[in-house]
Order: sequence, then C-alpha cells, then structure tokens
Amino acid sequence: MPQFDLANVFLPQLFWLSVLFAILYFGVVRLTLPKLGNVMEERENKVSGDIELAEKAKLASDKLNEDYQIGLASARDEARKMLADAKSKAAASVEKKSTNAQKKADESIAAAQVEIEKARTSAMQEIETVAADGASSIVERLTGKAPSTAVVTKATKSVFA
Amino acid sequence: MANPMEQFEIKDIAPIAYGQYDLSFTNSALWMALALVSVAIFLFVGTAKPQLVPGRWQAAVEYLYDFVRKMLDDNVGPEGRKFAPLIFSLFIFVLACNMLGMIPWVGSFTPTSHISVTLGLAVLVFVIVCVVGFWKHGLHFFSLFWPKDTFFPLAVFVACIEFLSFLSRPFTLAIRLFANMTAGHVLLKVFGTFVVSLGLFSDLPFILGILPLTVTIALTGLEVLIAVVQAYVFALLASIYLNDAINLH
Repeated sequence: MPQFDLANVFLPQLFWLSVLFAILYFGVVRLTLPKLGNVMEERENKVSGDIELAEKAKLASDKLNEDYQIGLASARDEARKMLADAKSKAAASVEKKSTNAQKKADESIAAAQVEIEKARTSAMQEIETVAADGASSIVERLTGKAPSTAVVTKATKSVFA
Repeated sequence: MANPMEQFEIKDIAPIAYGQYDLSFTNSALWMALALVSVAIFLFVGTAKPQLVPGRWQAAVEYLYDFVRKMLDDNVGPEGRKFAPLIFSLFIFVLACNMLGMIPWVGSFTPTSHISVTLGLAVLVFVIVCVVGFWKHGLHFFSLFWPKDTFFPLAVFVACIEFLSFLSRPFTLAIRLFANMTAGHVLLKVFGTFVVSLGLFSDLPFILGILPLTVTIALTGLEVLIAVVQAYVFALLASIYLNDAINLH
C-alpha cells in the first residue's frame, strides 16, 4: 500500500495538511462563522421578541373582546329593562283610560236612569190625571153629578198604587 | 488488471525540500488545497452579507453550522460552543476531501485515504483534548481514567485499560477514516476494472460489463453516504473526546 511508504508520503502530506488546515481554521472558518453566529442569535432574539409581541397583542385583543361582550350584555339588559318599563307604562295608561271611560259611562248611565225615572213619574202623573178626568166624566154621566176632585184623585191613586 | 492500489500513489507536482526534509507539493496536497478552496468559496459566499432571512447559500452554511453546534450542545454541553469553529473545520475539511475524492475521474485523489492525513488530524484532536483537559483540570485530569466506587485492585486494572484506550484514540480515529476511504476506493476500482475486462469478452461483447457497471453505480451511492457518515463520525468522536476533557465524564 502506498499509504505505508512512510518515508516518502508522511512528511510532505503532514506539512501541507498543517499549512492548509491552519489556513482553513484561521483564514476561513474564524473569519466567517462568527458573523453567521451573530446573525443567528439576532434572528432568535427577533423571533422570540415577535412572538412576545404577538402574545401581548393577543392578550389585548382578548381583553377588548371581553369588554365588548360585557358592554353588549349590559346594553342588552338596559334595552330589556326599557322595553319592560315602556310595556308597564303603556299598560298603566290603558288601564287608567279604561277606568275613566267606565266611570264616564257609569255616570251617563246613572243620569239616563234618573231621566228615565223622571219621565216615567211624569208619565204616570199624566196617566193618573187622564184616568181621574175619565173617571169623573163617567161618574158625572152615570150620576149626573161630578164627584169632588179629592175623591177622584184618591180613587185613582188607590187603583195605580 | 490495473493495480487497485495505484490510485493512492503520491505524485510530486512541485518538488520542494527544506534541508533534508521533503516538503514537496504533491497530488495529495493539491486535493487538500482544492478542498480548502471549495470550503472557502462555500463559506465566504454564504456569509458575504448575512441576512436575518437567509438566502440559499447562507441557509446551507447555517444548516451545517447549526448541525455542528447541536452536536456540541448534545455531547459537551454549554461549554462546547466555543469549540464549534474547530469541530466545524474538522467536519467540513474531512467532508470536502471525502467528497472531492468521489469525483469519477482518473486524476481525482482522496487525501483522507492516506493515514498520514487522517493521523495528522487525529493527533490534532488528541493534542487539543489533552491541552484543554490539563488546562482546565490540571493533574486532576487523570481522574478521567479512575473508575469511581470500585474495588481498589480492580480499579487499578480498569484505569490501566482506560489509559491505554485513551492513548489509542488518535490511532483508532485515524485508522477508521483512512480504512473506510481506502476500502471504498479499492472496491470501486475493482468493480470498475471488471466492467472493462468483462465488457471485452469477445463472444458476448459489452453485455457482461453491465452487471459490474450496475454494481459500481450502486457502490458510488454507498460511498457518497460513507463519505458523509465518516466525516460526521470523525467530528462526533472529536466532540465526545472534548467532552471528556471538559467535563471528566
């Protein structure tokens, strides 16, 4: 194997390996990788910062949403209360109006009844008068002599009573 | 039949010598340099203008970087992060060498199929682990080998074994990668030569070559997988060894 021809292959390869590996380490890797390391760290920070920011924004929006829901619920309650108020007010006013109307109707019914009673009494009196007149005429014709008004009135009254 | 070992031959491109030492620029060095250039392009383009929202190149580099950082977080803990550039360099260098070697071309070469290269990287890991361990814990680092709450003679025995296994780490780390790469390329080469020799069978030309060709294609897929997995294993073991040095179990 040529690899074990140590006298001829060992030294030159080792020499060039040392030179080239030193150049690789100090001249290439040492110059380039730290730059990349910085960028990677920066990126990590940026990403975690962004995530934090997003979490904060989410919390804020959650709070906003909660507030909105609370506001919505209270507005709904208020509306419900107002509706109930309006309903009860309307019911009260309707009741009041209907009681008033009932009262008026009662009053006019009472007045009408009084009127009717009056009319009836006067009608009765007229009938009594007419009946008395009739009766006295009949008695005059039969007896030839008109009875006294007091007797006639008494007689008719006893009939109508 | 061509020698399947020929592909691992080191060829001088520019002979250089420092005194008596041979420091020639070879095909192995060329492919390591190509790996370096590819990685450099990948990283410099990917991090040219780092954006908060990454483009394709940046996303690709970030993916690998994140992968290495996660591996260190899982295996070492929070203190592992400062070793991310080192583990990343090891991972991407081994990966680039492995993958460039998979280019199906006669001239391509896999530096990680040479134990010199893998041993170099493994020794680097070993030295860093030792330095970190002694720097952080001083001589207390040796307690890494001592099993807790164990019968004393047994503990001595286990400590010896632990110490030997610790010393053998650079070799196992190196040999694992080198052997995987070498075996894969030998296998590809062998089936590649079968395509030619069977395809030349004169009574039934071309037909017989189809079978080894199919195998070669399937093996190429497998080798790509192995190239990635071995780079991952190398980086993973390096971070596990670092964990020993930093946390002492």
